[in-house]
Amino acid sequence: MNTIIKVKNISKSYSRGLLALDNVSLKVNQGKVLVIMGPSGSGKSTLIRTFNGLETFDAGEIDILGIKINSNYDERRIQKIRKRVGMVFQQFNLFPHLSILDNITLAPLNVQKRTRIDAEEFGMYLLNQMGISMHAGKYPSQLSGGEQQRVAIARALALKPELLLFDEPTSALDPERINEVLDVMRKLAQDGMTMVVVTHEINFAKDVSDQILFMDSGKVIETSTPDIFFSNAKHERSRKFLNQLDK
Amino acid sequence: MHTKKIKKYIKKIREILFFNSLNNFLTILLIFTIFLLSLQSFSWFIFNSKWSVVTTNIPLFAFGTFPESQRWRPITWIISLLLISVLSIIPPKWKWLRKNLLIAWIGMIPLGIFLLYGGLGLQSVMSRNFGGLTLTILLTICSSIFALPIGIGLAFCRQSSLFVVKKLSSIYIDSMRAVPLIAVLFFGQLLIPLFLPLGLEIDRVWRAIFAFTLFVSAYIAEDIRGGLQAIPNTQIESAKSLGLNQLQIIRFILIPQSLQIALPALTNQAIGLFQNTSLMSILGLVELLGIGRSILANPKFIGQYIEVYIWLASVYWIICTILALMAKYLEKRLKIA
Repeated sequence: MNTIIKVKNISKSYSRGLLALDNVSLKVNQGKVLVIMGPSGSGKSTLIRTFNGLETFDAGEIDILGIKINSNYDERRIQKIRKRVGMVFQQFNLFPHLSILDNITLAPLNVQKRTRIDAEEFGMYLLNQMGISMHAGKYPSQLSGGEQQRVAIARALALKPELLLFDEPTSALDPERINEVLDVMRKLAQDGMTMVVVTHEINFAKDVSDQILFMDSGKVIETSTPDIFFSNAKHERSRKFLNQLDK
Repeated sequence: MHTKKIKKYIKKIREILFFNSLNNFLTILLIFTIFLLSLQSFSWFIFNSKWSVVTTNIPLFAFGTFPESQRWRPITWIISLLLISVLSIIPPKWKWLRKNLLIAWIGMIPLGIFLLYGGLGLQSVMSRNFGGLTLTILLTICSSIFALPIGIGLAFCRQSSLFVVKKLSSIYIDSMRAVPLIAVLFFGQLLIPLFLPLGLEIDRVWRAIFAFTLFVSAYIAEDIRGGLQAIPNTQIESAKSLGLNQLQIIRFILIPQSLQIALPALTNQAIGLFQNTSLMSILGLVELLGIGRSILANPKFIGQYIEVYIWLASVYWIICTILALMAKYLEKRLKIA
């Protein structure tokens, strides 16, 4: 089984001596889904953002798809990673000045240098998969949050990534819109996509994840399978968090 | 329903204009003055004004002393400018044309130079024969097309992490903004010829365009910088996560978005530039205002400055209004995006 992500003892501290990441290690195999949970400010987002170089770290090493990065920011290596790793953000972050289809084809055209016909064809295929091909000519502001997030997923998929990162993909959505995004993510997981998901959605984590990583104040508190984590969490801190979520 | 509305209106006017005796007096006095003034100007308009100073000189106002047989050349240029402005605002269906609009805009400069100066089979015309609206438009279009990319470049340099680049562009922008435009124009007209080696001479029109470009690009840089600062950092992050490099992020994300945000401010710059070209009339170029002044110097039309200035004011007003309306339309269209 291929290992996609291997994180070895990474740490990051802010200037005030606050630890954002404290000696974090983890491993994700191909085709697996890792869900990262934890209270806000626990470092989940910081951790997932180190995987594609949006966040630097001070110590340790990360190996993504065989490309190693460490505390020395190496633009070329990070660029290589970004071409093979897709990311979906909490606030969708679509480009407001481009149409939906142009949002999706921007990177394939300019990063992978594909032909326009090829890129647009694949873009339409992805929009079809997301069930929003009728919006291809519209602009992001004309779409609902759930639709925008599905466009963002299609945009991340347009580069045919080997790993997808989701940073709280449903936190900015209306409750009734959350499922349309989660359904798309479930389907991706079934199709064998390797995914790392920061989320508070317990049901999604229960159904889809292969592994749950619970963090608090920059530390990994526990790593378990979802069965164990949700029925019988090892740590007091995890149980307390889950109780709070249930309320 | 209708009478109710009118009654409400009258009541409101009463409350505002006639609520005590002093107020009544002032209102009546003002109405009387306005009435007198409009009567005066109306009678001047009907009985005393002589518009022949405008009507007989229309070609001068439009083309200056451009040779009569060659007037089709500036006309062609101005019409193609109008055409391309319309195409930019109401986008054409053909994708190739939409994609090449920028090139077409840049191409307007060589086309204008060729049509106005002549050469290559066209009879050549000296720049001292350029004048009137043609020259005003030439100055405005060339300066703004040159100043926009320079302004964008300066804005990015000012944001740069390289200390020297950042400082140099800051110094340039701040010093240009600290100097009055007329001083820069004097520099262009009087000092540049002194700096140039003997034998090398730059046309007066180009010296003016050069000075306007220097000046306006500093202001455009500040407008673009405002646009850049309004773009959320998350836009850059999502572009990065898609594997776009620094240059691609600038080209596909930052420039289009900052231009869109800065559009109202840039419209102001364009209208300001158009009006400021009239300053060249005191530096010896016979653009729209300049040609008006030289017509007034003609003994045949002596003392008819009211007609001439009313005419000039309306021409400036109409063109500026068209510019503003075009920009408003463009803004509205971009707002969906």
